[in-house]
Order: sequence, then structure tokens, then C-alpha cells
Amino acid sequence: MVTVSIIVSMVIIGAIVLAFIALSAMFSIWWERKVSAHIQVRFGPMRVGWHGVLQPIADVVKLLLKEDIVPSGADKWVWWLAPFFATVPAVMAFVAIPFGKNLIVKDLNMGILYIIAITSTGIFGIFMAGWGSNNKYSLLGGMRSAAQIISYEIPLVLSIVTVLMFSGSLSMQKIVAAQAGGWFILKPSLFLAFFVYIISAIAEVNRPPFDIPEAESELVAGFHTEYSGMKFAMFFLAEYTNLFTISAIAATLFFGGWQGPLFPPLVWFLIKTYGIIFFLMWVRWSFPRPRVDQLMGFAWKVLTPVALINLIIAGWLLLK
Amino acid sequence: MSNYFKRLVFGAINLLKGLIITFKNLITPAITLQYPTQKQAMAERFRGLVDLDQRKCIMCYQCVKICPTNCLGITPKAPPEKKKELESFKYKMELCCFCGLCAQICPTGAIFMNKIYEIATSARKELDVNLLNSDKYAKWLNPTVK
Repeated sequence: MVTVSIIVSMVIIGAIVLAFIALSAMFSIWWERKVSAHIQVRFGPMRVGWHGVLQPIADVVKLLLKEDIVPSGADKWVWWLAPFFATVPAVMAFVAIPFGKNLIVKDLNMGILYIIAITSTGIFGIFMAGWGSNNKYSLLGGMRSAAQIISYEIPLVLSIVTVLMFSGSLSMQKIVAAQAGGWFILKPSLFLAFFVYIISAIAEVNRPPFDIPEAESELVAGFHTEYSGMKFAMFFLAEYTNLFTISAIAATLFFGGWQGPLFPPLVWFLIKTYGIIFFLMWVRWSFPRPRVDQLMGFAWKVLTPVALINLIIAGWLLLK
Repeated sequence: MSNYFKRLVFGAINLLKGLIITFKNLITPAITLQYPTQKQAMAERFRGLVDLDQRKCIMCYQCVKICPTNCLGITPKAPPEKKKELESFKYKMELCCFCGLCAQICPTGAIFMNKIYEIATSARKELDVNLLNSDKYAKWLNPTVK
């Protein structure tokens, strides 16, 4: 009987998380289109619903109705599994994200490590898509993505380690609790860590300006060139779920998580997360894309040394 | 080494400048129009379709003669009636090159070019217009918006 109740509660929680992810992704897509449009001094979607809010639903219906094309030379198994390998890790990261005081699926004692480990495996999906498509652009996109994500993982983790030195715990809730006296971003060495984190996180989720794995001007659409219909939609979902995840981590690690006056914790958490998502969209539509060598050079010659120096300074500040 | 840090700092400042520019754009009202429902006003001397003010026409045939594509045709009324009265004023839209010479040469200003620019049709015979019909351009003046 106990096992039945556990399974039922697992299904309910899973359904809530999946529904939230789908809604959040649809909202982010609409919002991104609006932000990009207004940055380019135009309207963006206006026809479907009030200011086009129902546009993502129309898009989903369109994608559902599209033909699912499989290239003749594709590696069928790899091709079929790739969208799942990209989407599942993105969804799994939600286990350890604290939406509120008790609003967390499971407060793991190594929560942040779990999230980093799980989201890193999303690269498998991208590389499998690149390999399975039997297309030179896809393969190049997948290879670039692998190189990029492995390079940017280092400054990303180094900047998170700086936070962990101050919080003294890997648990997401304890990191939030450690910021009760003041947000971590207000501390000087963590201010720099935030910027290292956010730059590496943009590269980590393949978002412009670091979107060389799917650079339109060079690689058509990169790893998802050959995908259509619902499989393409799954890559899209994974991309926007990852966007939410990195923003939620930034809000938790640097902006005090769900803590805040007046409003309930969930509202504060969503305000902070969507604020960071807005910042990432703003960055996306402001900067041009660097070349591959510039991108790798930036990771190894700038971000990694800066993150290391910052780590040393943070240690010195803690020991002082 | 100092060059390295100088480049880092200048790079960051320039990125910030770019972000400020895009933020200014973000809060600027959109300059585009929602096309079928909102339309841009045409310029004063815009050359749309050829149009006719029937009362002013003195049937001098100058427009017919100057038209480089021969798209205008005047037919007077038959002899028993007054000779200087229009029976029909044909305008073949598919031949027209919108040069505006007819409007320029017209001594009384009877022939002019209006502001209609949405002139697509689905049938060729709709392109032959009698300028004496009052509802000749009704189709394009009030297009049905879906």
C-alpha cells in the first residue's frame, strides 16, 4: 500500500513538473519573440490572441501536424533516441531546483552537483543528433557543441565552486538559507563569479551569441537540420528548459533564491528567474556570434583564468 | 599582461554600450504597421492607378496620344448626340507603366493618379477598366480583410 501511494505521488509530482516545463517553455518562446521584435523596433506576434500570447500553441499544433521525415542514410536508432537524450536531462534537472521553502521535488544534499552532472549529459543528445542525421552540417554542429560544452564546463563549475565556498553546502536549500543575510551577488568576488557563470551558462546551453553549433549562416541549423515535427519540438523544448534551469540556478546561487519580502516565495523565485531569462534574451539580441576559434580562445584564455583568480581571491577573503 | 587586462576591460565596456543601445530600442515604440488593418499614408505625389474627373474632361485626346504603352482609349458619343461627350474612357491596367505622363499633359487636370497601390487581381478581365464607372476601384479601395 505504501508503495502505491509513493508511485501515485511520484506521478502527480512528475505531471506537475512536466506541465510547468511545457508552460514555461511556451511562455519563454512567446516572450523571446516579443523581446527580439521590440529590440528591432517591430511588434512580433500580434494575431493569435492578445498580443499573440497564443502563438506558441499555434506553433505546437503546426509541429504536431508536420510530417516526421527520416533521412535515408540516417543511423535510425541514434536518430530516434537523440531528442529524448536531449530533453530528459533538461527535465531531470528540475528535481533539485528549489521553487519555495518546501516547494522542491527532492532537496538532495549534493543538489547543485547533481544539476551540473545531469545537464552536462544533454550533450549526448546533441551529439547523437549530429551523428545520426548523416549530414555534414549536423555532424559539424554536434562536434562543435561537444567541444564548446566541455570547454565552458570548467569556468562554469569554478564559478559555482566560489559560491559553494561561501555557502559551505552543495544542497540548494542550504545555499538559499546561507543568503538570508544578503544576496551572494553583493559580495565582491561572487559578483565576478556571477558574470563568469552567466557567460559560461549561455555557452553551455548553446544560446546566441554562443550558438555556433547551430549557426545559421554556416551550418544551416546545426545538429537539428534534419529534424522536423515533434522531434524538432523536443529539441526546442530542451533548449528552453535548459534556459530556465540555468536562470533558476543563477537566481538560487546569486540572488537569494525564493527569499524576499511581501510576496510568497514562489513568486519571488519566478520573478528572479524570469528576470535573468530576460537578461539572457537581451544579450542574445544584442551581440553578434563569435567564430569557433574565438569562442574556444575566450573559454580557455579569459574565462578560466578569471574564474581561477577569482577563486583564489574568494579563498583569501574567507581566510582573512 | 597589462594589454590583456586592458582588452578585457574595454571589451566589457563595449559590450555594455551595445546592451544600452538595444535597451533603448526595446523601449522605443514599434515603427512597423499591422498591415491589412493599419495602412501607411501614401506620399502626395505617389503614382497609383490612373483616375478621371469626368466633369473636367474636354476630350482633347492628349493623354491618349502621349501614353507610351497605349493603355488609354477614349470613345465619344455617337453623332446625333453632342460630340464632345464621353461614351467610355478605357484604361488597360495591365499595359500601364505608371509613368504619369497622362496626368502631366492633361490641360484641365481631369486625369490624375490616385493613391491605390494594392492592385492584384485574380482575373485578367478585371484589369480592363472603364474610368467612367463610379465603382471601378471599389474592389481595391475596400479590400475584404480576413
